[in-house]
This record gives sequence, C-alpha cells and structure tokens, in this order.
Amino acid sequence: MTGVCAASPALCAGSLPAGRQEGAQYQIINHCREAPRCACLSADRRGELHTLFFEAEGRMKQKINLKHLHDIPPISISLGTMLWNETGSWRYLRPKYVVKTPPCNEACPAGNDVEGFMVLARQGKFREAWELIKEESPFPGVCGRVCFHPCESSCNRKEYDEALAIHSVERFVADSQWHTKRVRHAHRIRRKEQIAVIGAGPAGLACAYHLGRMGYGVTVFEAHSAPGGVLRSGIPEYRLPRSIVDHEIQDIQSWGVEIKTNTRVGKDMPFEALKTFQAVFIATGAHESRPLNVDGENLEGVYSGLDLLKRIKGGEKIALGKKVSVIGGGNVAIDVARSALRLGAESVEILYRRSREEMPAFSQEVEEAHREGVKIHFLVSPKKVLGDGGKVTGVECIRMKLAEPDESGRKKAIPVEGSSFSMHTDTLITAIGEASNLGFLPEEIPSREGLIQTDEMGFVHVRGYFAGGDAATLDRTVAVAIGSGKKAALAIHEYLQGSWSTQRFESIRVGSKGTISAKKYFHPPKGEANPPVMTFKEINTDYFEHHGRVSDPSLSLEERRGTFHEIHLGLIPEMVEEETQRCFNCGVCNQCDNCWTFCPDMAVKKKKDHYEIDYDYCKGCGICFVECPRGAILLEEEVR
Amino acid sequence: MKKVIEGSHAVSYAVMLSRVQVICAYPITPQTHIVEKLSDLCSTGEMQAKFLKVESEHSAMAGCIGASAVGTRAFTASSSQGLALMHELLHWAAGARLPIVMANVNRSLGAPWNIWCDQTDSLSQRDTGWLQFYCESSQEALDTVIQAYKISEKVSLPSMVVLDAFYLSHTFEPVNIPDRGRVDRFLPPYEPKYRLDPKVPRSFSGLTPPDLFTEMRYQIQEAMEEAKKVILRVDEEFDALFGRRYGLVEGYRLEDAELVLVTSGTAASTARDVIDQYRDDGKPVGLLKVRTFRPFPSEEIRKALKNVSKVAVIDRNISFGMGGIFAEELKSVYGNEEEGPIIFGYIAGLGGRDITRETISGIIEYTFEEDRPKKPSLWPDLRR
Amino acid sequence: MSLKDLRQFPEEEYLSSGHLACAGCGAAIAMRYALKALGEETIVVIPASCWSIVPGVFPHTAFKLTAYHVAFETAASTATGIKAGLEMKGDLGTSVMAWAGDGATFDIGFQALSGAAERNDDFIYVCNDNEAYMNTGTQRSSATPYLAWTTTTPTSAPKMEPKKNIMEIMVAHQIPYAATACVAYPEDFYNKVRKAKEIKGLKFIHLLSTCPTGWRVPSQFSIKVARLAVLTRVFPLYEVEGGERLTINVKPEFRPVRDYLKMQGRFNHLADQDIEAIQQNVEKTWNKLVKRSES
Repeated sequence: MTGVCAASPALCAGSLPAGRQEGAQYQIINHCREAPRCACLSADRRGELHTLFFEAEGRMKQKINLKHLHDIPPISISLGTMLWNETGSWRYLRPKYVVKTPPCNEACPAGNDVEGFMVLARQGKFREAWELIKEESPFPGVCGRVCFHPCESSCNRKEYDEALAIHSVERFVADSQWHTKRVRHAHRIRRKEQIAVIGAGPAGLACAYHLGRMGYGVTVFEAHSAPGGVLRSGIPEYRLPRSIVDHEIQDIQSWGVEIKTNTRVGKDMPFEALKTFQAVFIATGAHESRPLNVDGENLEGVYSGLDLLKRIKGGEKIALGKKVSVIGGGNVAIDVARSALRLGAESVEILYRRSREEMPAFSQEVEEAHREGVKIHFLVSPKKVLGDGGKVTGVECIRMKLAEPDESGRKKAIPVEGSSFSMHTDTLITAIGEASNLGFLPEEIPSREGLIQTDEMGFVHVRGYFAGGDAATLDRTVAVAIGSGKKAALAIHEYLQGSWSTQRFESIRVGSKGTISAKKYFHPPKGEANPPVMTFKEINTDYFEHHGRVSDPSLSLEERRGTFHEIHLGLIPEMVEEETQRCFNCGVCNQCDNCWTFCPDMAVKKKKDHYEIDYDYCKGCGICFVECPRGAILLEEEVR
Repeated sequence: MKKVIEGSHAVSYAVMLSRVQVICAYPITPQTHIVEKLSDLCSTGEMQAKFLKVESEHSAMAGCIGASAVGTRAFTASSSQGLALMHELLHWAAGARLPIVMANVNRSLGAPWNIWCDQTDSLSQRDTGWLQFYCESSQEALDTVIQAYKISEKVSLPSMVVLDAFYLSHTFEPVNIPDRGRVDRFLPPYEPKYRLDPKVPRSFSGLTPPDLFTEMRYQIQEAMEEAKKVILRVDEEFDALFGRRYGLVEGYRLEDAELVLVTSGTAASTARDVIDQYRDDGKPVGLLKVRTFRPFPSEEIRKALKNVSKVAVIDRNISFGMGGIFAEELKSVYGNEEEGPIIFGYIAGLGGRDITRETISGIIEYTFEEDRPKKPSLWPDLRR
Repeated sequence: MSLKDLRQFPEEEYLSSGHLACAGCGAAIAMRYALKALGEETIVVIPASCWSIVPGVFPHTAFKLTAYHVAFETAASTATGIKAGLEMKGDLGTSVMAWAGDGATFDIGFQALSGAAERNDDFIYVCNDNEAYMNTGTQRSSATPYLAWTTTTPTSAPKMEPKKNIMEIMVAHQIPYAATACVAYPEDFYNKVRKAKEIKGLKFIHLLSTCPTGWRVPSQFSIKVARLAVLTRVFPLYEVEGGERLTINVKPEFRPVRDYLKMQGRFNHLADQDIEAIQQNVEKTWNKLVKRSES
C-alpha cells in the first residue's frame, strides 16, 4: 500500500508511486518532527534520521528502533509491521503436509491411482483421468464393467454413508475417451530386447502393454482365434461387450505389441522356439472345466459352463432346455445361469454346496441374478445325474452342512446323511471351477497343484521366465490378472536391465496388500514412498454432508429378457460430477483451501498447486491439522 | 455585531463562528442553553455541523474523540457530574493529542445535589492534560472559544473554556459577535498532521511499552509549556483583528499594591469593584485575575506579584485534604524560592453561595490584619 | 457446490503475521475475514480487549489498514463520532467497524451501543463474543453461558444466570440489520459483513469466537468446537433484517449439546442433570427461533 507523505508531497525527496507497488506489502511513511522532509521508501533510498522500511520480496522484518526523542512521533501512530516478531518460536508442535495412501489405491489389484482419477473426473478432466488410469492398466473400460471393485469395499466413505461408485466413474472415463486419438509414441525409447507373452488374456495383455510402453518389442502368442482370454470368451456380452475388449486391445497393439492368434505354444509352435526371446511371460489362464466326477456326467444336455460361455460369446445360437440347473457358486455359474435365462430357459436354478456367505461370485452379480429370476439353492450338492435315453432328466442331490474351514479357508461342506432328493432338469451346466492346462510347460518350470510357482513380482525361478494371471494364482479376477501382468512387466524390465532389488520393489508398493504402481516406478514421489493408509477416523466429517451413492442406470428386467444387450447404461456427466464430489480424497490434498482459510496467523501460503507453511510465523496451533478434511496434514513435535 | 445575549449563547455563537463540524450534545443544567442554541443554529442551516444527540457525557467525549481523530473540529459542553463522567476520556483526548474544545459550566459535584456555581468540577480535571481558561464575561467566553481552537490546533491539546454557572451562563450582557469573514481569517480550517485516513493506513494509540511511554508524556508536558507562548501569540493575533486581548493573567491596579487578591471567573468582576473602593480609600490593594489555569502561568504570576507582600487567593473550589486549588498551585510557584508573598488561601462561594462585596472586603480586612494565615485554608463565608 | 465455491474470498490480507494472538485464537481468524469483507477503505475501532494487544506494540502494528484504539466502553460512541467526522469531510465511502468483545458490548459499553442503535448511527458493530473477559484472564461477563467456569464463577460458585440475549435486545432497537455469526463459518461471516457494509444505519453482528485459552480447549480444536456450537444449536446462525424478517442460515439436525460441552474444560464440572437442563433450554430457544422464522 502506498500512502501520502504526511508532510507536503512537494518536499518529498523520493519518488512516491501513485498506485500499489508490486510486491510491496506495507509501506511506512515516517515523518521526522524536526525536518519537514518525508524520507521515502523505494528500494535504494533510506532516510538518514529514521529507520525506514519497506517490503521487498514479501519480507519486512526489521524492528523499528526509536532511539532519540525526536524520532518519536507526538501521537502513538504505527510506523512499521510486526513481521520482525517471528512467532514460529512459540511453537512446540509443527504441522506438515503429508500424502497418505488412500485405501482405494491400496485395494486396487491393478494398482490404479483411484483417488487420482476421481479428482480429475471431478474436475471434468476426463482425458487426464483416462491417461492416469492407463499408466497402470490398459483396461479401464473393461474394469469399469466387470471388476469386483475392492476399491469400493475399502472406500472410507462407506463408513459415513455409502461407498463411492468408483467402477461406474472408471467406466464413464473410459467411455468418454472412445473417440480419443491414440497417444502417439514418438519419444518412446526403442529397446532392443524382445519379449514373448503366452496368452492374450488380461494378464498377458497387461504385461505386453507395459512392456510395449517401455519400448520393448513384444509378441503375444494366443491359442484362440482372437485375443482377450476370459474377457473375450468367459464374460457374457451383457456384462462386457466385445467391442469394448476389441477397442482396448487395439490400443495395446498401438504400442507395437504383436498378437499372433491361433498359435498354441506346445502345439502350433514348440516351447523351445521361445528361446529367441530375451524373456517370456506365461499367462495362459485357466480354461479347463473341472469335472463333477459323478455318474451321468456325460449325458446329453450336460454342458461345461466355461465352454458354453465361450460358444455364446462366439455368436452361436444354442438351444438349451426349459429347466436349467447350474452346479457351482462362482462367477462362471452366475454368468452362465443369467445367459441361460436370456437364451430362453423357463427356469434356471443354481445348486451350490455351501451357503451364501461362502459363495465366491461377486455379490452384485448374485443380486442381479436374483432380480432376473435365477433361483439359488444353497447347501445342495449333486450326487448323480439322472437320464433317460441318453438325455438328462434330472439330478439327484444331497443336502450339505458346513463344518470347519478347509485349506482354502472356507468352511468345509459335508453331506447330511439321508437327505437325498431329486430334482427335474433338462439341462445341467457345470461350473465348479477352472483349472490350468500346464502340460505344455517344460519340466524346469515348476508348477504345483495346477499353478505355476512364482514370487510376488512374477519371477519364476528359472532365468528369463515369468508367469502371472489365473495360471499362477487362485486369486482369479481380471483386476488381479492385470496387476500381475504389470508386476511381471516391471520385473522383466529390471531383469533385462540387470538391476533388481527388493528395495525398489518396496518403494513402488501402494499399501500392504501387494498393490504396486507403475507410475511410482517411473516417477518416484518426493515424500515417503509408501505412506500409511488413511483410515476413516482421520477424516473430518464436518465438511461432508450425507449424500447417497449414485445409482447405476440399467436396463429394466423387461428390456433384458431374451437379449444380451449391455445391462448397465453408464453414468451421465451430471451424475459423475455429483458422485465424484462425494470422494473424501483420503490423505491427498485437493486444494480445498481449508488450511489457508483457518490459519489465524496467515502462515499458510497458497502456491500454484499446493500450500506451504511459513514456519517463521506458524504458532503450531494445529487448526490446519484438525480442519483438513482429508488428513493431509500431520502434527508432529517441534524439534529444537 | 453587538447583541445582548446570555453567556451560554455567546459560547454557542463562538462555536458556530469557529465552523465546528461535529457537536456532541448531552444536557445538564446549567449547560443546556449552549447546546439548545447550537441545535437551533444547526437545524436552520446557519451552522453546517453534525449535531449528535448522544446518550451520555461519556459518549459525548468519545464522539468528539472520534470526530477529531478524523480531522474535523469537534465541540461539546458539560458541567459537574457530566464532566466527571467524562473524566477517563479527558485523559484519553489529551493523550491522543486531539484539539477538542469543550465549554464547561462550573457547577458543584454531588453528593449532595447542588446545581450552582462551584469550580471543583473543572479543577478536578487539572491533571488530564487539557488547557483550562476561566472566563469572567460573556465576551471573554465567546472570544476564548474561538481562540481555543487556534491554540489547541497548534499545540495538539484539548481546551476547556470555563464559565461560572448562572452568574455567567445565564446572565445577559452586551456581546460583540464578530463577523464571520474576520473569524475565518483568524481561524483557518483544521488540517491535522495525523488523522484517521484510509489512504494513509495507520494504527493509533496502540500499546506503548515502558521504554517509550515517558517520552510521549514528556511531549505533552513540552506542548503545555509551548502553549503559554502560543496563547500569548494567538491573543496578539486576535487583538489585531478584533481589538481584544486577555493574556494568561490580568492584573488590575497592581501598581504598588501590597495586597493582591487572586481569583478567577465572575468573582473577579466583583473583586474589581471592591478593589476600586479600597483604592479610593487609599489602600494599596490590587487584583490578579488568573485566566489560564492550565498551563499554570507561574512566570507571569511571579512577575505580577513581584513586590507584593500578601496575597489573598479566593478559591471557589476545594481539594479535600489539601485546600483551595488556586491557592495551592500558587504556593507551589514559590516552592523553591526564598522570597515570595505570604499567601492566604480563602475558600468561598461553594455551591453557588454568592461571593459578595462584603465577603471580599472581609477577606481583604482579614488579610491586612493577620501576619500569617492561621490555617492553610480559611473559610470566610462559613456559618459560625 | 463445494465449500470452496461458496468461499469467494479475496486473496489480499489486511493483517500481517507476527501478531500476538494466542495460538488458535478465534478472534484472529474472524478479524481476518471481517477485514477481507471490508477492504482498505475502512476504519476499525477497537476498545480495550485482546485486540488492543494482538496487533502488537507501538510503533509496530499487524494491521494493514487504519485502526483506532479507544477506551473500553467507547467502541460505539467513538465510531459514531468518527462516522460523523467522515461525513462532514464528505467521505461517504469509508466504512467504520467497531470490533468489541463481549465485555465491552454486553456490559460496560452497552449504553453506548444502545445509544448508537437508537440513533441508527451508520457503522458496523461486531461483538467478538468469547463469553468472558478474556484479555484480563477469564472473568465472567453477562455473555458467559450458564454454569461455565470463569475465575469469578469458579466451579464452587458457578454462573447461575443465563447468557444475556444480546440479539433480542439489539433487534428491539429496530436497527436495519442484526445477525449472528461464528468463526467456524467464515464464508457466512464474510457475507454478512459484506451485506452490512451496503446497509445504512447500525448493523450489529454477534460473532461467536473461540478462545482456546479461556474455554480450556486445545488450540487445534478452536474451529471444531465453534462449529459444534452451531451444530448443537447452542449458537444458532441467523439474521434479522428490518427488525422483523428472521432467517435462519444453518438448520442442523439434532445433535446433543453434550458433544459441544464435553470438548471444553470450562464445562468439565457439569453433572448430567446440568447438561440435561442446558439441552432443554437449547431446544426451547431453538424451537422459538424456528417458529419466529416461519411466521
């Protein structure tokens, strides 16, 4: 602020600017009582008799020293600011900006920065949100439709009202970029190494995608006529349209990834042929249906669930019977049951040997199945398939009861003596589990109980070989597969560059559930590498009004009948805006200005995209710490 | 223009002529006529000022402080209880160096209730840093108000122009009301060096530490000293334009006086008559009227009383536990001197009791008779 | 609309760091927003209170605009004089704001405030209410709530009188604008000061401001506890325009006063029946307020 000199401006020895001086916070005009000369105040002028101060670069800290009687004005008017008084010395607690790990980020097996893309989506920056997801996973459109969203299960908002509809937002973001031109890869480093990937399912393709982005040449060998694995053949069209899968695979290919279909390793080409590659990633999935091992299993009208799904997805018109029974409790069972309904079955019943709690299928899918009319019988197991004239007529079942948990951790189901009963059915579909066919693997690559043995990153302990996806774990979901593909890609990269350390791996962890981040790998964050996960009790709920979760618009039951149209219609932008505003942004500053607003000492300074605490003046009151709605500030002891 | 007006109204006209901009008004007998006249003058537009009808004297002084701080000329009037109520703010106004002018009509302080003339109210404020002028006539009251603005604005200290209750406030005298243009020449607009101005942002009267407070107080004392010179200079300027002057003190028939009466206010008028009588009888008596009580005109008094052997001070006031205030101050003039007159302190006229010729004669007689005063304070008009 | 959208605060600060307020002082935060709302062309009048000390010691000040320190009970009366002086100088643009504590408003300066209100003098009067004479060490004022501890209402002889209802008294003066505000709702306070700035006459804002020192609350909860006062309806946020039209600004769902009281050491000694009595009183007052707002 400028002021008018108290003496006559005509006597002013300096040049007093008329307007506000850039950068000057406070200007003092001191009037000398003896000489009516106003000693002013630009950077290079100082009065002789008096200490005069001005603000340069935001700091005016000199204390005014009125030494002589004639320095003292007749009235106690202020001559300077209090900036000399560095009240930071009062402090015994010090606030610090921190970043904590949002629980959704920890929970995402694909390693997405969920909080990050939610913030971008809230700002309407859908392109940036899409690019952020693509740093970790090539399949936002897929995951936004089929993922079981553990992010939502761990969402802190759940404890306040309802979890964020993260997967719906992810889907919206992916769909919004449908027409976006592919990112050109001009500046990508071209590397000389070539990597082979066996299996073009989510794990294999995710691995290929990341390697391609890193500049490696990748060739994916796919046994079937089209890539996608379970995405293509295992998940029904009404959950995941082919077009989505094709679209996202095309983007993977745009990174220079070559996919050779109709090439089964071990049959169409020998395993040894892979020796020309510098590394191999095995991700052949689990596509073998487990047999029921009961009599009558081979009667006409008995189908394998996996097989049926593949055929339906392939466009085949299958005539199932009227009364369909499905054995099993996983996603395949649910998918095939709902598909059967659409194919015209009059009644579809699922027989599952454990109870609802133990059912491995995604609970949302189970609920949808119920809505559509699928009946589920719990604690029932087939003993024998009944037939007549080579065709299925019914199934003899026995009731089960639950006992102590088995090795998988689930309660063991044991038959109840004398509880047999029979059910009519003209179509029996088995969906009691999938197994991997690892027969093509050379002896040196260890497998046990149908799974390839790897370490956490996907290393098989044979030089140059890596594995992931359903072939290497019983944790069989698309998101886990994508995550494993990414881990393997990074592991392959480290292996090929000759560097590997567990420390490096630790530094890219997100939380403690095995999630890792590619972004952290390529752009190590400045603060703590893997900060603690943010809990609900660290949220200041005063800043959030209760607001229910957006409900996903979907086809009515009428509209679903007899078709495989995608059920969920996706959110509209207004719904995305409403929903993303509910996000707490756990542990990550989103520039809400609260800390700046409530600082009594103006010690929180706003910078372009973050805040800084002026520790010269911060008294350590801790208001910023409490009022940060999302725990992005810590209060620690001041060390003196 | 000469007019026969009340003493109160003389003050009102002076306020108008001084182009006062903010008036804070609260009624108390016998000041009410001052503010009523001002209310009239403001309502007709003869005077351009804000007339704030505040809800107590304390707020009246606070209002004046606010208005003066902004750089406008402010005025209020009070008396007795009202003045006493303002007491803390009188200190404040002086400390804040604000040139407020206030008319105080000397009235006694309760308890018990008494509405008549007594100087204790204004003299109780002698430590506040206000200049104090004790007026003998309506003309003097009018002229002093106008002079007070000039003096106060020069030394940055407030002034109290004091009138006797009823004797001066409510009596009618012919008064020469100066012409506006001439007053404007005498008293230019108020342009303070420091004022509340958002364009020059400052904080005023902030907490002042021990290592600076003494200097601020010293500055006020210096200003008070300076004020003596300023009062005389202003008096001269006034004389040049209006043909009247008053000085810090006024001597009457002091030549070769052996006994001098010292008093103030309307009692001085009565005293003049008595002095004349004595002089006619060949008695060497004189009168020293003290006009300016603050700053106390020690030098002038010493000069005036140089060869006087006895002084009789008539105080229409009392400081309990000590004595008449003018007397005590006068005694302190000679504190460190070896020579000086013998000072007789008389207390008379409290609470509106007339100070008659007889009272004054009695005082003169007694003073002539006694070598020294038997007591520090003598009460000549006390019932026996 | 996010909170950030609601808060359209100008960036400029009219207070500098280095001032002497206690860590976590609610009044410091509130003053910051009052000044943002008023801007540079303002004169702040400050009677004896913490704010006589907070801006620092002569010749320094933390204020970046014009401030006038005055005697204890003269906030309103000095403001009256200042405004009159400004008008006589032809300055109709400068705002005058008196910033007085609860002691200076409810008690000693009450007469001056009432006088100014009756005359409808044109300035903004903000009562920074921290519910006791805090600057002198936490003695009770007539703004101290029922049963609160202070040094002159110790737990053995607690304050039995209810808090004086200053808003009702001010509204009865028929001033054009009276409102309550709370330091935990800076956007609301800011808007009210801006609104007041545009109205001619006496505008009274009763601001609840945390004193962590006197309320015996850890400084970090300064804002949280003030917010709870509003959320538990102990201190409703409302405005009265033209002496008649009452608008409640925040209508919180029921929340027990215990949540508010138990955060503060000054209420630690309260027995359950005391809290119940306070709860009932809060309910009664709230219901009356709601009824008035609807009529």
